[in-house]
Amino acid sequence: MRWWTREFATRPESEWRRAIRRLWRSRLAVFGVAITGLLVLIAAFAPWIAPYSPTKISLPERLLPPSRQHPFGTDDAGRDILSRVIYGSRVTLRICTLVVGLTLVIGTLLGLISGYLGGWMDELVMRVSDVFLAFPALILAMAIAAALGPSLENAIVAMVAIWWPRYARVTRGQVLAIREIDYVAAAQAAGASQLRIMLRHILPNCISPVVVQATLDLGEVVLTAATLSFIGFGAQPPTPEWGAMVSVGRNYLRNYWWYTTFPGLAILITVMGFNLLGDAVRDILDPRLRRGP
Amino acid sequence: MKKALSLVVGIFLIGVVAWAGEDVLVMGITGEPESLDPHVTVDNNSWRAIYYCYDRLVEYEGGTTKLRPGLAESWEISEDGLTYTFHLRQGITFIDGAPFNAEAVKFNFERLFAIGKGPAGTFEFIKSVEVVGEYTVKFVLDAPFAPALSAFATDQGCIVSPGVMEHEVNGDWGQDWLAEHTAGTGPFYAAEWIHGMRLVLKRNDNYWGEPAKLARVELRYVPEPEDLRLLLEKGEIDIAEKLTVDQIQSLKGVPGIRVVEAPSFQCHYIYLNCQRPYLNDVRVRRAISYAIDYQGIVDYLWQGTAVRMEGPVPIGFAEHIPVYQYPYDPERAKALLKEAGYDKGFTLRIMHSPVVPEWRQMAIVVQQNLAEIGINVEVESYAWPTLRAKLDQGDFDMSFGYWTPDYADADMFTWFWFYSENWGLPGNRAWYKNEVMDDLVTAQRVETDPEKRQQLFEGIQWLAVSDAPYVYLVQTKYQLPMREWVKGYVYNPMLLNMPNFNGIYIEK
Amino acid sequence: MVPTLLGVVLITFLISHIVPGDAAQLIAGPRATPEIIQRIRQEYGLDKPLHIQFAIYLGQVLRGDLGKSIRTRRPVGADIRAFFPATFELTTTAMLLAVLFGIPLGIISAVYRDRLPDHLSRVFSVIGVSMPIFWLGLLLLFLFYIRLGILPGPGRISGDPPAHITGLYLLDSLLTGSWRALGDAALHLILPSFTLAFAVLARITRMTRSSMLEALAQDYVRTARSKGLMERWVVVRHALRNALIPTLTVIGLSYGELLGGAVATELIFAWPGMTHYVVGSMTSLDFPAVMGVTLVIAIIYITVNLLVDLSYALVDPRIRY
Repeated sequence: MRWWTREFATRPESEWRRAIRRLWRSRLAVFGVAITGLLVLIAAFAPWIAPYSPTKISLPERLLPPSRQHPFGTDDAGRDILSRVIYGSRVTLRICTLVVGLTLVIGTLLGLISGYLGGWMDELVMRVSDVFLAFPALILAMAIAAALGPSLENAIVAMVAIWWPRYARVTRGQVLAIREIDYVAAAQAAGASQLRIMLRHILPNCISPVVVQATLDLGEVVLTAATLSFIGFGAQPPTPEWGAMVSVGRNYLRNYWWYTTFPGLAILITVMGFNLLGDAVRDILDPRLRRGP
Repeated sequence: MKKALSLVVGIFLIGVVAWAGEDVLVMGITGEPESLDPHVTVDNNSWRAIYYCYDRLVEYEGGTTKLRPGLAESWEISEDGLTYTFHLRQGITFIDGAPFNAEAVKFNFERLFAIGKGPAGTFEFIKSVEVVGEYTVKFVLDAPFAPALSAFATDQGCIVSPGVMEHEVNGDWGQDWLAEHTAGTGPFYAAEWIHGMRLVLKRNDNYWGEPAKLARVELRYVPEPEDLRLLLEKGEIDIAEKLTVDQIQSLKGVPGIRVVEAPSFQCHYIYLNCQRPYLNDVRVRRAISYAIDYQGIVDYLWQGTAVRMEGPVPIGFAEHIPVYQYPYDPERAKALLKEAGYDKGFTLRIMHSPVVPEWRQMAIVVQQNLAEIGINVEVESYAWPTLRAKLDQGDFDMSFGYWTPDYADADMFTWFWFYSENWGLPGNRAWYKNEVMDDLVTAQRVETDPEKRQQLFEGIQWLAVSDAPYVYLVQTKYQLPMREWVKGYVYNPMLLNMPNFNGIYIEK
Repeated sequence: MVPTLLGVVLITFLISHIVPGDAAQLIAGPRATPEIIQRIRQEYGLDKPLHIQFAIYLGQVLRGDLGKSIRTRRPVGADIRAFFPATFELTTTAMLLAVLFGIPLGIISAVYRDRLPDHLSRVFSVIGVSMPIFWLGLLLLFLFYIRLGILPGPGRISGDPPAHITGLYLLDSLLTGSWRALGDAALHLILPSFTLAFAVLARITRMTRSSMLEALAQDYVRTARSKGLMERWVVVRHALRNALIPTLTVIGLSYGELLGGAVATELIFAWPGMTHYVVGSMTSLDFPAVMGVTLVIAIIYITVNLLVDLSYALVDPRIRY
């Protein structure tokens, strides 16, 4: 039977099919939560889990292959890579919370003000975010990070600078939609101050899509930070940031494969976890958007 | 499908083999030339391409620092050391057809000074250039300058054809054109430059001297050392430069690859900004000098391809004497810090640049070493130009650096490093000032009696170690990995990273 | 559009000028006297106040002059023209790969919903959007070049490039009949374009699948079920057509991702393209080049998005501008 003559998935579904789908979706979600949870645990208990110090060098033990003493091998200063990957989770979490936190605050605030007050303020914020969105994200982040000087702090600043427009837009969209709703008009008629209206009535309704966006973005933040560090604009020694480790490991690809492999794997798994988590959050908070896996 | 794939692969392989002829040398480089104009660029990457497209009045003899006649057959130096008269070879033409004579030499130096960029600094000792006969030219100096003759053998001394003026635009002396082309008398000329990919030099078949054996030299730009190393191993590249110590070590013993090793005068050291708090105290600088694990750095980071520096003047220079070397003694370092009143510890920043990968590794070691005596070190990586700008403005605490001499005289490592008028990029990157030292270095510059001069250098070296404005780290060996079929390579310590394309040939 | 472009120029200008360090000093090199430095400062217009410099720059840009690169000493425009074809070839090939493989995969995934092909493709999708491109590139390089040796290494071509007509090696070698160059360039293109396509492929698969599913659930499909074979075929084509609209969105949005991903890809595979040039300019703080290329990249990005918007009108007759 040719595939295009088959009955498509629009026939009445057996209970079996539906159950599998729920299981699958929740399995992925569980996976996402599990990985994220694992990351947080590892970051929290790093000093107890890591077998060695991530920064103590040991020159005679440079570039050793994976072994029982060093499951991930050692790097070019003799430091244990497993310990550095473990501590790297702290760096990653720190970057995520800072970037997402700051962009949330800045973007939401600006979107709120812009959407509610309208007028020239709205125009200004929208124009400025248009300009920022006119660049491919990485290119602009690179330019800012390069100009400010290579350091993790500057990379974070650069990422916040390119990301806030997204949240401003989402918030503003929500505000515009809600502004006309009856109870807002009622509050206005009752004489409530603009600030009060913004904070008490409008803001709570904006949170949901913003949170969805934020969790969906977590993965991208990690990837961007790692890429910036890989190119050279991010973390500096001795910070055990995963992207920076892949970058250094690159010069050892031929004979010392473990140097690039394990930190890169950590990035992949973490981002996967965040993406799955983001999908799950979106499914819960905003079933309207639930389309696809 | 499989047939088509193997056909394509087959074509590719045939293509590679057919193209890689026996008289073509492919050299992999990690930095593209910035300009092919010898009067504009002071960048080593550019010199490599320029040097063998031109000739100079005097040349280095083979692999030594001795000078032999080049475009000048002979020369005389006046008694007072103020006049240099060169007798030029006859019957030579530039690649663009212009005749080589005294007028051409005069034009060359006129152009050099008119453009007035970096290379002009090498010849600032010249007061005037005069044409005395059709093939005789006279240089008059402001004051006697011992290394004067060596200056003419450097890349800055390349003789450029007067024919470039045909490509002059808006009074630029032909800079725009010469940045992308060559106009010399040399055994090669620049034939093709695809930016970001490769620069091709072709043999000058009308060369006046011994013709080159290579018909073509391709400088292929591969920015990452690891890629370069892979290409070398697969045989796609004949010579690879600027590989890291680790990469070179693992290449030794790979069949088909030879690593040329030779002592060089390149030194890596740390600048301590003497104008900064904490570092302005000599006890702190000495403490830092005692705190570094020199042997660990030499043994593990450089893996025997470097030796520890012994004072500022490199080993191998005639003026070098064995001076005190700070042992690795953290206890003594801590005691010194306590004596200076800093036993609570403090923070310093150290700069490095990705341009030299070994600096990052040494920075990590230094960070650890100094942490053990209570100094918290923050490592900062900067782009090469930013680093140099900060050095020039004194906007740093500590920084890595390296130095190679332009000519084989200890003046290169002393006057530039210690004279207080040379603060910043010119050479005194420690922003160091000591009047006794100033007297010593200025005196050696004009001293003509070799014995007295040597005494001055001894004093300089002892003072340099005692005042410790620099942490003297390593003097590295020169290493160049290449395929075994590359023959005729001659190493010259004054021409680092500039393989002698005119003498190399391929024998497969 | 115009104020946005103006803002873009302003932003790139501002970014390039918060750079610390004296640019004139950098250009002059070491052992340059103060006079030389001053002359260079004048040559590049660095001695004037910031807003005047911006006005001058704006005027130049409007006339098409992007200034002179400090690093290569050539006009930035010439540099961009030289490096653009390589990036174009890479990103276009990657996009083609992503679309050619992504859409069918998405369709299959929708058709075989909740069965093995679907599960496999969904796992692949998640991995795809989570994959750090620079790591993938290194892995592929290690596997296919270092270990297996069946694909060529970094670089665009091993032998001589084909005669320059467009700068796109595949096209040029076809036009000049140079089969050796064609094979050489094509083989070199495989790894980088696949690396770059990976994430976009995953996204396109996901989007095609979900919009296919949505389209198939529409009423007209259900009614068509009761009709015959040919009706279903028409239905599929109609569903596909509607499914393509959101996919087009993804393609357009992914172009920015491709440009960003090209940065890492070009670095790893020593690809002499525009993003490679951008990174080099940024690390050397070559501000005229940084301004020029960032501007050009932004313009390309905006243009692509505009084209995607306009193409909606073609696919969906309900949308008219």
